[in-house]
Amino acid sequence: MWQQVHDSLSQSAHRVLFKLASFLPGLVALLVAVLVLALIGAAVAALLRRILTSAKFDERMARNSPDAISDWSPSGSPTLLVARVAFWVCVALGFIIGISAFDASSNGSQISTFLLPYLTHSIGAIVLLIIGNLVARFLERSVLIGAVNARLQYARFLSLGIKWLVLVLTAAMILDHLEIGGAIVELAFGILFGGIVLTLALAVGLGSRDIVSRSLEKNVERTESAPDADSPAQPETLRHF
Amino acid sequence: MASTSTNIDASTQPAPAVETGRLLVSLPLLANGELHATLANLAAAFPERTILVATPSSLEGSASPAPDTLHLLAYTPTAASAISWILTAADYVNAFRLAEENQATACLLLGAESQSIAPEALRALAESVLHADADLAIAHYDTGLRELLVNSGILYPVSRALFAARPRFPLAIDLALSLRMAGKLAATAQKFISLNQNDALIWPVAEAASVNYTIAEIEIGPRTMPQPAASDLNSLLAQIAGSLFAEVDAKAAFWQRARGTQPARLFPLSALPAEAADITPMLDAFRLAYTNLHGIWSLVLPPNSLLGLKRLSIMPAESFHMPDNLWARIVYDFILAYRLRTINRGHLLGALTPLYLAWVASHLVLVRSGTAPEKHIQDLAAAFETDKPYLVSRWRWPDRFNP
Repeated sequence: MWQQVHDSLSQSAHRVLFKLASFLPGLVALLVAVLVLALIGAAVAALLRRILTSAKFDERMARNSPDAISDWSPSGSPTLLVARVAFWVCVALGFIIGISAFDASSNGSQISTFLLPYLTHSIGAIVLLIIGNLVARFLERSVLIGAVNARLQYARFLSLGIKWLVLVLTAAMILDHLEIGGAIVELAFGILFGGIVLTLALAVGLGSRDIVSRSLEKNVERTESAPDADSPAQPETLRHF
Repeated sequence: MASTSTNIDASTQPAPAVETGRLLVSLPLLANGELHATLANLAAAFPERTILVATPSSLEGSASPAPDTLHLLAYTPTAASAISWILTAADYVNAFRLAEENQATACLLLGAESQSIAPEALRALAESVLHADADLAIAHYDTGLRELLVNSGILYPVSRALFAARPRFPLAIDLALSLRMAGKLAATAQKFISLNQNDALIWPVAEAASVNYTIAEIEIGPRTMPQPAASDLNSLLAQIAGSLFAEVDAKAAFWQRARGTQPARLFPLSALPAEAADITPMLDAFRLAYTNLHGIWSLVLPPNSLLGLKRLSIMPAESFHMPDNLWARIVYDFILAYRLRTINRGHLLGALTPLYLAWVASHLVLVRSGTAPEKHIQDLAAAFETDKPYLVSRWRWPDRFNP
């Protein structure tokens, strides 16, 4: 009996060591593929940066598309944006090649059929996360500045509400994209999103009633006290332009 | 000293009787009554000269004929602009094309409400280009104490300090141009037209200064200033300040070399307004912005300026005063942030509005306390000139320590 236990243990250990031995070259191939493609990516990015800088790409973009691209670029430079996109595309390509090599070296295991779609989904999720954060920050500032210039007392509250709405929406999209949570995410998102909207509505409608009414009263007062051009009794108005 | 322009005041020069050049007057779209009043003024201004008057207005159904000395050219603009209260790229392109087609040697561009300009002023503008060797003659308006405040607080001080140019109204809507100046402005405007930006603003003073053309400033007295159709201060300030900041960015190579301060101007001592303006809404807007926009301002402004704003936010209304050098630094830092795209440019210009309102409130408090408004504007412009090295230094080395 002990002989049989010993045999089965040694066969098991042999199988594991064999698997590990066949796994290691694949892992090394994956790392080498990522490293090589990352180096190629760095070279391509540097080359692109040099070419675009000499072609005055940033200045051309600034002239032809006043805000759109430059505002979303790192350090406001479309050249840097293009270079970084090229670099990360190469890194992602390295991962895909590495996983395929890993799959080929592991004698018929189906790791790549499982990992590759997940990897592409992960890249998509990262892109969603970045875009969601940028949009949330952009909208937060837009609403804050717009509300302050409209002299709304609850400007900060409004901008934070908008920011968290977008972040919650982004988080739900990411989880949905990664197929994590399934129906729970949808349900949780519905509850959370609806909750934020309801909270904002209640806060503005009830909790901040006094603030809103004061703000509206001030607006009405401003409108009513706007001087009539025909009335000589009114003080001289301000004309900014 | 790289002085860029020689400023001359042509209003006092006697009008020569001899016709020495062909003048084209470019009018905006005017209503029938306004057009006739303008034509009558032009005829009175140039009784001995035949001039070409180009107008996009329809001349059909006109009850009274045009005076004999005026040769009317009704034209369809090649580039159209939706903005009529200020001169845009389309206006410069149209004027130069007409001047070239009609072999004019000088061009007089008049803005909306031009019927309110006196004939003597029209003559002085044109003569300065035709006879006084100026390339650009720009109108100096006799405005009310609370008018054209954006010009007084931002456009004039920046233009004077950076471009070393004297004109008090750098975005004046009545100009006289030599043919080469008109060509220069049209070439600049054409770049915007080709990008389908017909409403883009062109800065004649900066253009003239950058190529060392002679600039004259002509006192034209009181004039009805056209007002923008939309009264939204935020969007209008963003449009005009954004255009100026872009011009400063485009002309960086020139203004970093241009040095020298402008001589003190002789300004009329204006009578104080009968009633004090209500500054409370402006102060409320500034204080609300201070509590909410502090985070955004801190991305743009150095700690010193933020400290100055903190002091302002707790200052009582009756003694509210924004120091001139603080306002100069704020404007310069916003110009820098515009160039570096520290934050989205729309956000940046939106965040400038409450600060501008604080400056207006401070200006009005100062005027109420007895300071002549024009003296304050000149002192402010001098503060911008004094602080110019700060802008030049940070423009060249933006990552250095911010005081």
